[in-house]
Amino acid sequence: MKKFLHLLSTAALLLAGSLTCHAADSGTVKVGVLHSLSGTMAISETSLRDVLLFAFDEINAKGGVLGKKIEPVVVDGASNWPLFAEKAKQLLEVDKVAVTFGCWTSVSRKSVLPVFEKDNGLLFYPVQYEGEEESQNVIYTAEAVNQQAIPAVDYLLADGKKKFYLIGTDYVYPQTTNLVLLEYLLSKGIPIENIGGGLRKDAEGKVISAGKYTPFGHTDYQQIVAEIKQFASSGDACVINTINGDSNVPFFKEFAASGLTAADCPVASLSLSEDEFRSLPTKDLVGHLGCWAYFMSIDSKENDQFKAAFFKWLKSSTVPGIEKANRVTCSPMVLSYDGVYLWKAAVEKAGSFDVDKVRTVLQSGTITFDGPNGLNTVEKNNHTKKNVYIGETKADGQFKIVKEFSQVYPQPWLKGTFGK
Amino acid sequence: MEGVGVLFARPLLCFCGFINEMRNSSVSVILRFLAVVFLATGTSAPAMDQYEQRARALFVEAVVAPESSQSLLLENLVGSAHPCLEPFLQGWQREQIFIYQSPEGSKIPILKVEENQSVRILRVDTGEELKEASGSLAAWNPEWKAVETNSKIRRSLKNTIDLLALGSSSPSDRAAAALKLGLKQSPASLPVLESRLSQETNPSAKAAFLDAIALVSLNSENPDQRTSALQRLGESASLPARDAIKRLADDSTQPPQVSRAAREALQTIDTRIFWIDFFGTVFRGISLGSVLLIVALGLAITFGLMGVINMAHGEIMIVGGYATFVVQCVFGNGLAFAPFGLSMNIPGFGFDPSSAIYQSYFLVALPVAFLSAAATGYVLERGVIRFLYRRPLESLLATWGASLVMQQLFRLIFGPANVPVASPEWINGSLNVEGVLMNYNRLFVIVFAAAVVFGTSLLLTKTPLGLLIRAVMQDRSMAGCMGVPTTKVNTLTFSFGCGLAGLAGAFLSQIGNIGPGTGQTYIVDAFMVVVLGGVGSLTGTVLSALGIGTLDQILQTTLRNPVIGKVLVLAGLIVFLQFKPSGLFSAKSRNLEES
Repeated sequence: MKKFLHLLSTAALLLAGSLTCHAADSGTVKVGVLHSLSGTMAISETSLRDVLLFAFDEINAKGGVLGKKIEPVVVDGASNWPLFAEKAKQLLEVDKVAVTFGCWTSVSRKSVLPVFEKDNGLLFYPVQYEGEEESQNVIYTAEAVNQQAIPAVDYLLADGKKKFYLIGTDYVYPQTTNLVLLEYLLSKGIPIENIGGGLRKDAEGKVISAGKYTPFGHTDYQQIVAEIKQFASSGDACVINTINGDSNVPFFKEFAASGLTAADCPVASLSLSEDEFRSLPTKDLVGHLGCWAYFMSIDSKENDQFKAAFFKWLKSSTVPGIEKANRVTCSPMVLSYDGVYLWKAAVEKAGSFDVDKVRTVLQSGTITFDGPNGLNTVEKNNHTKKNVYIGETKADGQFKIVKEFSQVYPQPWLKGTFGK
Repeated sequence: MEGVGVLFARPLLCFCGFINEMRNSSVSVILRFLAVVFLATGTSAPAMDQYEQRARALFVEAVVAPESSQSLLLENLVGSAHPCLEPFLQGWQREQIFIYQSPEGSKIPILKVEENQSVRILRVDTGEELKEASGSLAAWNPEWKAVETNSKIRRSLKNTIDLLALGSSSPSDRAAAALKLGLKQSPASLPVLESRLSQETNPSAKAAFLDAIALVSLNSENPDQRTSALQRLGESASLPARDAIKRLADDSTQPPQVSRAAREALQTIDTRIFWIDFFGTVFRGISLGSVLLIVALGLAITFGLMGVINMAHGEIMIVGGYATFVVQCVFGNGLAFAPFGLSMNIPGFGFDPSSAIYQSYFLVALPVAFLSAAATGYVLERGVIRFLYRRPLESLLATWGASLVMQQLFRLIFGPANVPVASPEWINGSLNVEGVLMNYNRLFVIVFAAAVVFGTSLLLTKTPLGLLIRAVMQDRSMAGCMGVPTTKVNTLTFSFGCGLAGLAGAFLSQIGNIGPGTGQTYIVDAFMVVVLGGVGSLTGTVLSALGIGTLDQILQTTLRNPVIGKVLVLAGLIVFLQFKPSGLFSAKSRNLEES
């Protein structure tokens, strides 16, 4: 499978190469795409490759960047974190790409970070993450914690919720996010006994982990749901869910079967977008909340145009093996797409593909792109300012937007900032 | 929604219609009483009509208002709520309220009621069916926009419905409504609760009303009232009240007798929680054990009896899961997929997902899952395993290869993502026995596992086929000498084992994922159960599955960590097998090779 996909991606590369050769008069600029096209993360990350290729084609059709056509170099990280670092090295040292768009999991980002810093590359990172990071070589178009988890909690607090149960998959994003949330909730006057899931403290009594954690692929949620049911019996409770992938199905099935409903105890899920709903029985999720910088259901001219153009491109796409049926758009996809246009704007303003010059322009705070999710601005801290939306899940796997936070400034460093 | 027809046939007597529909005199008393409570005065029929009109008018006002003020208007409606509004409130919750623009330009809110194949359109303001200017019934127009809801509006709707639920015909609904009202601890709700209590006849609902009143009284100015409320809540060991009682117990400004009563009440509640957790854990242990049992049962046949190390067992289970998915799609709108680039389309019956016939898809899926998995097993046995009966190591490798091939086939046919299988309604929900929750799907798996084990053991011990199977499994060549068609029996036995795996897959689709890699998650568990139980022993398999399940759940609760249970069980298993390598129940054999 891995080899086969390698072959596919090479074929895609060759094809893309041969296409650009026809118009190579004014030259091309190489751009890296670094996502897992095989392995466990392929389901999510392949969608990002698709939207990136679409963005490149869209830009090339309008004359490219600085008169040069974009030539994508697609490599497969294969859900293998050390391989991500090797592929990043290949992109930067062999292919000498001007910019790279890629990574999904925090661990893949952490493993390519040293490569990008050593070779002074530029990476655009599009997926919600835990913060506590600000590399000079990464532009985070992703949602920082204050652009996703915090607004979700604000919404629930405004809704009159007084008890919060934290549950997640056991890895860096849920652990860090929940620690930040714990501090935030305490600063909002929620007593510590109203935060469910359990606390783990180190020898000095400092909380090192808040909430309940299950491993990837966990299937038995009986005990945890029974605990939530007891937790929620006195009313005004909610759940902040950072469970990743597959395990959401047994969790929500158990949750629904135990008689808990979105009206009594809503679950705000931070890792479930429209793309994931394609393989979930959404019936069990109706009314539960999602929080992202983009929803497919956003009613705007830009979004309608984007969706129409992307689906049209998909239909006629010749990328081998691309999925054409039942496609949706979601926040990581749109933030990837925004990244391409933000980079284009910065390059055009700098008049050069040079990473240092592009970065200086990006950090000036003047690079904006009015995308499907509204206005994006790259701020001095390499993160983007953007709108944040809260949505309720509907039976058709879409979100109904119930609240919009306009132009939220990104704050990657949140730990220890509340209540002081 | 059947009540709606009656309701609107005679709008002026709507309230009475509602009562007739209930066909229950005690309910009519309650409703009449409610109307009195909510509407303050008036008992004669024409007067009620006036209140009904007012309630309808207020509701219409809320529906057509801008979204930001809808919730507030609904809150105001609470005081004038009228039972005739219930279907409309519920309709709005489900976004079935639409706005009809009359030719004169006024906005008329309507409720869409879908009955079997037909759609009825009811006016909110009169309760009658919507009519055209000509007087004929209006036809449904798909362009009408639904009045949207958000969580705030839904909460207001729920509040109003909850209040109406105080007069519900079901005692458990009345109890739940009372408790919800009590948890708000608002003194304003005391008169409603008290007068309602005096009418209540059902003992459990009565207890709930007493609890609710006690909850509200916890905020009373009078310390004696607080104490007696605490005593009441302690006696009934009310779980929902725990937080409120704890607040009082922790509050150092309370007089000593209140603090003492609060601590005592807290203690009774905590004792009750302990027992609920205890029995809950036992139940969850048995249910997890049953899942393990169902998963391992097929393997107990193919590995335990036949000695084939079938690494493709997980994938054969998933065949059953995918079969369930296909059956679900056939009952719904059909299924289109494109294996190997060929576009295929399985047509569906197009049943409505809420109809009883669609809900019963799972019952059809069970035999389909069994047969499709058995057929897969048949092909696997004929194609691969029959050549390898004397070479267990090779059969391990070959079946592992087969499992990889099958995973890839699933990917090619159904795509790399998991397929969504929705559980039928009747398997959702739970039974509450003294606070211990037993989910129907878990009860179902226990009964199902027991039935399958019973059936299998009957087949093996009481039928001629079972006799042949046991003979062949004990000594293949000797059975052959006695004239038993061993190849046929082998194939049948293996297919049967695989069919059981298919049943497991069908069941797993109700509690978890079905995807190309799902089988891998369960294969370790399945082998663990069979090996611990003792290869070849059905009783051993049952006991080891239940034992592992219960132990896992007990460790999970006591150590408050969802992972540690499994880790310790596996570690314990390794130690156990050091001392008893043939498992709990080992089959005695005089075979030199096996001893």
